[in-house]
Amino acid sequence: MPRPYRPATSLIIIVGNYGSGKTEVAVNLALSLQRQGKQVRIADLDIVNPYFRCREARETMEQQGIEVVTPPGVQRFADLPIVVPEIKGMLRPQAENVSIFDVGGDDVGATLLSSLAENLGDSPYQLLQVINARRPFTNTVEGCLKMKGAIEQSSRLSVNGLICNSHLVTETTTDVILEGVALARQVAARAGIDIAFVSAMAPFDQDPLLQAIDEPLLVLDRIMLPPWLRPSEKGDSSSRRLETDPAPAVKPIGRP
Amino acid sequence: MTKVLMKGNEAIGEAAIRAGCLHFFGYPITPQSEVPEYLSKRLPEVGGQYVQAESEVAASNMIYGAAGVGMRVLTTSSSPGISLMAEALSYIACCELPVVVVNIMRCGPGLGGILPSQSDYFQATKGTAHGDFDIIVLAPSSVQEAVDLTIISFELAEKYRNPVMVIGDGMIGQMMEPVSFPDKEIGPPLDPGDWGLTGCKDRPRRIVNSLYLDPDLLYQQNIKLKEKFELIKQNELRFELYNCDEPYDLLLVGFGMMARICKTAIDQLKAEGLNVGLFRPITVNPFPYEACAEAIGRSKSVISVEMNMGQMIEDVRLANVEGKPVDFFGKTGGLIPAVEEVQDKVRESLAAMKK
Repeated sequence: MPRPYRPATSLIIIVGNYGSGKTEVAVNLALSLQRQGKQVRIADLDIVNPYFRCREARETMEQQGIEVVTPPGVQRFADLPIVVPEIKGMLRPQAENVSIFDVGGDDVGATLLSSLAENLGDSPYQLLQVINARRPFTNTVEGCLKMKGAIEQSSRLSVNGLICNSHLVTETTTDVILEGVALARQVAARAGIDIAFVSAMAPFDQDPLLQAIDEPLLVLDRIMLPPWLRPSEKGDSSSRRLETDPAPAVKPIGRP
Repeated sequence: MTKVLMKGNEAIGEAAIRAGCLHFFGYPITPQSEVPEYLSKRLPEVGGQYVQAESEVAASNMIYGAAGVGMRVLTTSSSPGISLMAEALSYIACCELPVVVVNIMRCGPGLGGILPSQSDYFQATKGTAHGDFDIIVLAPSSVQEAVDLTIISFELAEKYRNPVMVIGDGMIGQMMEPVSFPDKEIGPPLDPGDWGLTGCKDRPRRIVNSLYLDPDLLYQQNIKLKEKFELIKQNELRFELYNCDEPYDLLLVGFGMMARICKTAIDQLKAEGLNVGLFRPITVNPFPYEACAEAIGRSKSVISVEMNMGQMIEDVRLANVEGKPVDFFGKTGGLIPAVEEVQDKVRESLAAMKK
């Protein structure tokens, strides 16, 4: 039976190409580590994509005692490069605490990390690249290595682990996941790094073929849902309600 | 064939390549920026041309030029950017050039916000720009349908030598779903027929121009465009009926993403013993009035459900030849009507009918 993922460091930075599943993995990892008794903080560093960011799962995580660091007020609905000061504090490792950084897609999203590299100092970190073998540009070993190189160049940090997150959302099969594991193993071997963990939606984790893998396994609940699948919020019929906290006006630069 | 997981915006870009479109001119704007992002990587791989213009005005005139020389061409943008393209679209329509434009709509008016909306329904279907002309407008409801309709758009654009627009709300552009593509990696090039400016050596020269100083000639061109659109109305109407096989007291009309929310609402209401139908126009211009009228005819009342302040409802009213009660439910500003909100509106409407 696969082991749960136990992070080797208290800083976990999650990168990868657009749509590889970074946010879904980051949110589920935060919830999983919190259940294991860690005090978890998660920072939304996605300054690239304005939709489906981990700030949308804020309430779910805060209910579990996870500290969620996002831009304040209405700025979190913007696509502006906002990095709040708390982020730098999160880069100092503390025992029993885990800090997870959900970074934006591709090398473009990872550029943000280079500005934080100095604050990181000598702190040990896990920079984990999420790979979904069913995504364009990372469906081959070469594609994944190219993405890894681009992210490393723009972040000035080294990817030291992989997260194998192959799926087709509602059309996922065990084969899709296992094909992804096979690809990630080849990428890991070529890059000389490990697969930190394999992630899979329940109930695929119960499949004997997946139970037989050597890598740690993270079981995912689908949290980032499209609007027609979001659970009913009885007593509050307004969907995606804006919170009313006061916030400074957002001055757009160019076309947001 | 093997399915891949793609964002709507990426999938539209790949669909264009599969349709044989190797020329893209555009300008980034949330929430469609992944189309230019994707094509800037992919087009060089397949020998295509990607140009980031200095503005949407420039991009729209670049597609005018590319189509004029007989190239299959795409541009994509989001609401304010489409407004800037209006002038060129009128010129392109007058010159009868085939172009495909994608609008991944965000909420307005003004600079508005970056969240999804369907507020450009009027702009797309009624008032794209100055002058008498119509463009064909298609509204996908899933990432796979965005792929299929993008490919069909190029076929329609070339069949009728007319601009075609695909409208999706921001969510269609951003969400990820498994998709499959035609096996052919790149479609055949466009046939510039007897109109493309391909070089006039050994043949009479051709002219692409929308200036008609002679009123009779301009009137004739307007008649020609009108007749062409009548033909499109006859041949190209697309729509979907959902849960309309059994008798229903209420019909929802919704397009794009909103239809998806309506479907979930309808499925859940069915479990409560309430049968509600859905009419989903896929061509929103021309609007399938007769099919919509037929679906309304079998219902006691209609609700138009939209992510705007009530735009398509005007077409629903035009289709409502029997004068049934027509109601509206919608939101904008980037708020997406929830499944339960649609259900509450349906229950309220059904309860009012019983009184």
